[in-house]
Amino acid sequence: MNLSYRFYYVWRRNLAAYKRFVIPTLLISLGEPFFYLIAMGLGLGAYMGLFGGQSYIHFLASGLVIASVMMTSTFECLYDSYVRMVLEKIWDALIATPLLAEDIIAGDIVWGTFRGVISGFLMYTVAVLLGVLPVSLPIVLTIFCLMVLIGILFGSMAMIVTSFAPSFDFFNYYTELVVSPIFFFSGVFFPLDKMPEWIKFIANLFPLTHAVVIVRATFDDQLNSGHWLNLLAIIVPMMVAFYLALFFMKRRLIK
Amino acid sequence: MASIVTARDLVKKFNGFTAVDGISFEIKEGECFGFLGPNGAGKTTTIRMIHCVSPKTSGELKVAGLDANVDNRGIKCLLGVIPQELNLDEDLTTYENLVLFAGFFGIPRREAHDRIMELLEFVELKAKMKNRITQLSTGMKRRLQIARALVNQPKLIIADEPTTGLDPQARHLIWQRLRELKKRGTTMVLTTQYMEEAEQLCDEIVIMHQGRIIRQGVPSELIKEEFVGEMIEVRDSKDRVYRRPATLEDVFLKLTGRQLIE
Repeated sequence: MNLSYRFYYVWRRNLAAYKRFVIPTLLISLGEPFFYLIAMGLGLGAYMGLFGGQSYIHFLASGLVIASVMMTSTFECLYDSYVRMVLEKIWDALIATPLLAEDIIAGDIVWGTFRGVISGFLMYTVAVLLGVLPVSLPIVLTIFCLMVLIGILFGSMAMIVTSFAPSFDFFNYYTELVVSPIFFFSGVFFPLDKMPEWIKFIANLFPLTHAVVIVRATFDDQLNSGHWLNLLAIIVPMMVAFYLALFFMKRRLIK
Repeated sequence: MASIVTARDLVKKFNGFTAVDGISFEIKEGECFGFLGPNGAGKTTTIRMIHCVSPKTSGELKVAGLDANVDNRGIKCLLGVIPQELNLDEDLTTYENLVLFAGFFGIPRREAHDRIMELLEFVELKAKMKNRITQLSTGMKRRLQIARALVNQPKLIIADEPTTGLDPQARHLIWQRLRELKKRGTTMVLTTQYMEEAEQLCDEIVIMHQGRIIRQGVPSELIKEEFVGEMIEVRDSKDRVYRRPATLEDVFLKLTGRQLIE
């Protein structure tokens, strides 16, 4: 592997191209968390009791903060990376400079992570404005670090899928069969403890489950040393996925 | 003159298919070196190996004294590539495209600005510097790709079919710019399917066919070597006979055959 600081140039290129779309995408990304929280948190929550002593919207919002990072970085490194690579041929231009394939791939994963962190913080901001989630410096720092890890993890996983994708349609297998189950069964929408054992077992294989546990503990001020194991369950797959993303995508690019 | 690219028994295989089959050549500083050949002859594969986006399978390839496959980043710093396909950044303006590229080479912003203004002048695109790429014609985009390839003051320019798909006016403007670069002493590697382009620009050409170099030489001398005197062209439908001087195209067809290569 031949990764250098130059991946930063790729991030900067994506930022320059993104400038034009900042306002529309911010509006869209603000709208989604808002409607999620109102519709499900308040609407559905009105028929539910308390979750660990707190309202459903509080339970939901803390899970969505981290889940939205996963969603955004996933889609960024599927569709947007594919467009840059295959349709716009941006990567062909980049690779004719001192950038190597590894820089380009890592740069796009970091960009996907960046977008993911932004949408996670938008969700968080909306929740804070609605008075649902607490805010403090340690909380912000903790969830920021967690968002970065989740962004790199799911950005890398998406990049692996993209490295095998013959066309856009291919992404549906991944989003419907892998990302959706993770989204629904990681304890974002309901606690997992009343689920059958086998579902609990599978859910514990999902890194997002562990991220949700840490995020909830952060917001409820209940972080303890046991959470190191949860953190490990995110970091190890993240490192593996990142390495494989560079490996498989490089194989596609350099022939 | 010192050589800037040397290849010895260079081979490139893709899953058992041999795209480049043991070629050797030498490109000297200051010359324009042309790779000619029909589709699939291995021209593009060869230059992709030179600018280090395609690793060689075997053989030796040195660019500016550096080993391809070993010192890829070092080699890429020294090259300017004008690609066959348009791959400008459509989301950015003409000027932004060049600034971005200068950034990839680590050129400081201020220095980059001065150089970019010069280059925009050179390719006659100063008036379009604030336009987005989608507002440019194909000829303008091609010229911008030339400016982009020059942003790092490369030791060697690689132009892969730089005028494919252009109208005659746009093509002549590109030729004029490339000749100007030659005059300034820039070393150039060119691939083309247009024999006229090779005659116009190249000091030395190789004709490739099925992954091998079948002829090498100075364009005008190649014509003399292959044909003595004039060409007689007979079109059998109406028994018309034409007399004309032989061209590089005749040499090309004689060497690579008349069947359609697909």
